[in-house]
Amino acid sequence: MSETLQQLLDISIFWEYRTVLLRGLAVNFYVFVCAAIVALSLGLGAALLRVSRRRPLRALGTLHVEIFRNAPDYVMVVWVHFVLPLLIGTLLHTRFELNPFVSAIIALGFVYSGYFAETFRAGIEAVPIGQIEAGRSCGMSDRHILWRIVLPQVVRRMLPESINQFISLFKATTIVSLIAVPDLMYQVSMITQQEMRPLPLYTGAALVYFAVILVASYALRAASERWRNKIFA
Amino acid sequence: MGNWQRLVWNQRDALFSGLVVTVEICLIAFACAIVGGLLLCLIRMYVRPLRPVAIVLIEFFRATPILVQLLWVNYAWPALFGWPDTFFTAAWVALALQSSGYLAETFRGGIEAIPRGHREAAYSVGMRPMLVFRRIILPQVALSTAPSIVNQFTVIVKSSTLVSVITVQDLMFESQRIVNIWYEPIEMLTATAAIYIIIVFLVSTAGKALSDMLRRRFGIAAA
Amino acid sequence: MSEVPTIRVVDVHKRFGSLEVLRGVSFEVHRGNVVSMIGASGSGKSTLLRCINHLETPTTGDIFIEGESLCFRGDAAGSRAPRPLSEINRMRRDLGTVFQQFNLWPHMTVLGNVIEAPNRVRGLSRKAAAQLGGECLARVHLEDKALEYPARLSGGQQQRVAIARALAMQPKVMLFDEPTSSLDPELTDEVLGVMRELAADGTTMIVVTHEMGFAREVSDRVMFLHNGLIEEEGPPDQMFGAPKSERFRQFIAKYLY
Repeated sequence: MSETLQQLLDISIFWEYRTVLLRGLAVNFYVFVCAAIVALSLGLGAALLRVSRRRPLRALGTLHVEIFRNAPDYVMVVWVHFVLPLLIGTLLHTRFELNPFVSAIIALGFVYSGYFAETFRAGIEAVPIGQIEAGRSCGMSDRHILWRIVLPQVVRRMLPESINQFISLFKATTIVSLIAVPDLMYQVSMITQQEMRPLPLYTGAALVYFAVILVASYALRAASERWRNKIFA
Repeated sequence: MGNWQRLVWNQRDALFSGLVVTVEICLIAFACAIVGGLLLCLIRMYVRPLRPVAIVLIEFFRATPILVQLLWVNYAWPALFGWPDTFFTAAWVALALQSSGYLAETFRGGIEAIPRGHREAAYSVGMRPMLVFRRIILPQVALSTAPSIVNQFTVIVKSSTLVSVITVQDLMFESQRIVNIWYEPIEMLTATAAIYIIIVFLVSTAGKALSDMLRRRFGIAAA
Repeated sequence: MSEVPTIRVVDVHKRFGSLEVLRGVSFEVHRGNVVSMIGASGSGKSTLLRCINHLETPTTGDIFIEGESLCFRGDAAGSRAPRPLSEINRMRRDLGTVFQQFNLWPHMTVLGNVIEAPNRVRGLSRKAAAQLGGECLARVHLEDKALEYPARLSGGQQQRVAIARALAMQPKVMLFDEPTSSLDPELTDEVLGVMRELAADGTTMIVVTHEMGFAREVSDRVMFLHNGLIEEEGPPDQMFGAPKSERFRQFIAKYLY
């Protein structure tokens, strides 16, 4: 046991590979940012569909949300990476391949758009109707009201909830290691195969994520509290 | 599309056995997560000396990705503790740890939301703390946190897809194994995705209906 | 009367499902008039006001803003189609509305609230809009609060900002929907004071209110609504001094002891 303890405390192996591991973490961030952009845009679109006055649009939005909110991340990533290229290939009559980065971004983006859609929808419905009527009474178009009155408030109101979802999305980016995207976990797995010392490596990886996410969530929450208090005092 | 029959329907035995494994892991993990979450929550709130330990554990389980936890429990724990001894065990342990962190916070929110007056009223009629907890606090917490608990179960089901990575023979594992044999992934993977989506949808709908019914029955939420 | 009335309401009916709230209301408002609409809850006065700026669509009947129909667009062939939303929005620019719940936009400053419509609907430059906004805020005596957020203001101040916001569009008519009903009693005076000043300046105003004092002292004309119809109308002295209908007599008896 003492030997394993010694092995555990041998952080040096982590330090030795620090460059390659940091690069892996950067890949996680890169996938996170791209997927977040996709998820936010699609989520906003789906939310707007869900609050539309026309029933077929509402149904479409609900379909999108129910499919992607209930889909496991890993299943979607595998599907997008292995099935989608084949489908597109048969459509275009060529061989089509998806870069694993792109697969991951598409898959995670769509899945998390389901969560963001619900967050946005709740925020939109929470805006008091009176403010919208005040806008209409001045002759503002519905589009003007949406972008200048409704959405700014939705963003501020739903920020805490959204932070949780961003953190979930960041954690989900580790899945890309399973389709050979060189993120932190992928590097850790590679190094483990070489060095055969899973203990410090996996523990170290866990601690890295722990630290990054802990710091990020506290910082984001503090910043969002200050911003919101200005208005919802 | 006769492919569907050959590729998917004919493999239904293997898929079914994988599904069984998935269900087993999810149920065990869920049960342990509730117990673990409750334990962590109570220790954090009421056992002074162990508070920092509980807090660190809760934050740790919440902040680390499930894949990382799976790999860590599966590869690092046996070296440290000599346990878990099977991949299956490692799987549900990791899933349970992840959810117990979230549930601990959910329970804490639920307990803190109960007005002080309820407890005071109970003490005033001579109830002892344990009884107060069991008869006054716990039922209300259970009812108010029911939706979050159901949600956490769907999270477990969705996360369970990753246990295939540590060679646990769940639905995802069987599905990928078959794809690796025939290499015609379209039908199988699409079917697998559809199965998971439907299962999660059913679980969350049923769970929501159940928790709505319970809450209405006990008068907390108005219809 | 050679001048086109600013607002002309013609036989407006409004039905919500099986409930008929307005049963045929007609009246005219000319430039500079201050008209008070009073009546019990459910008499239809708010609904009538909301029809004038088309927040509610009349089931039948029409409303004319300086001679232009709000509800219908007539074309050369003489047939009438419902007016499209874009044109209604154009006409709404000339109507200023003040709501019972103020409805200020919380994520913008006071000045931001006031200049949003002039800047983006009428197309004024930001500088011109800010200047106009400052003048409107001065009219309601709140120029020093221009950079505050609404959440930090009292109810009376918020309502005055709402008035400034409506004034900033330089409307032909100001519509007030129970402007003081959500205010604590100490705060209603500051708002009524501003409204009196506006009336004295010659602003055309239609005011739905429970404040009998205001109705009596400031309006040119008072309309009493009951069950979706104008039961009685006329100059305030005549109305309050010598009420004709029994219902109106009962109504004011509750307010003027």
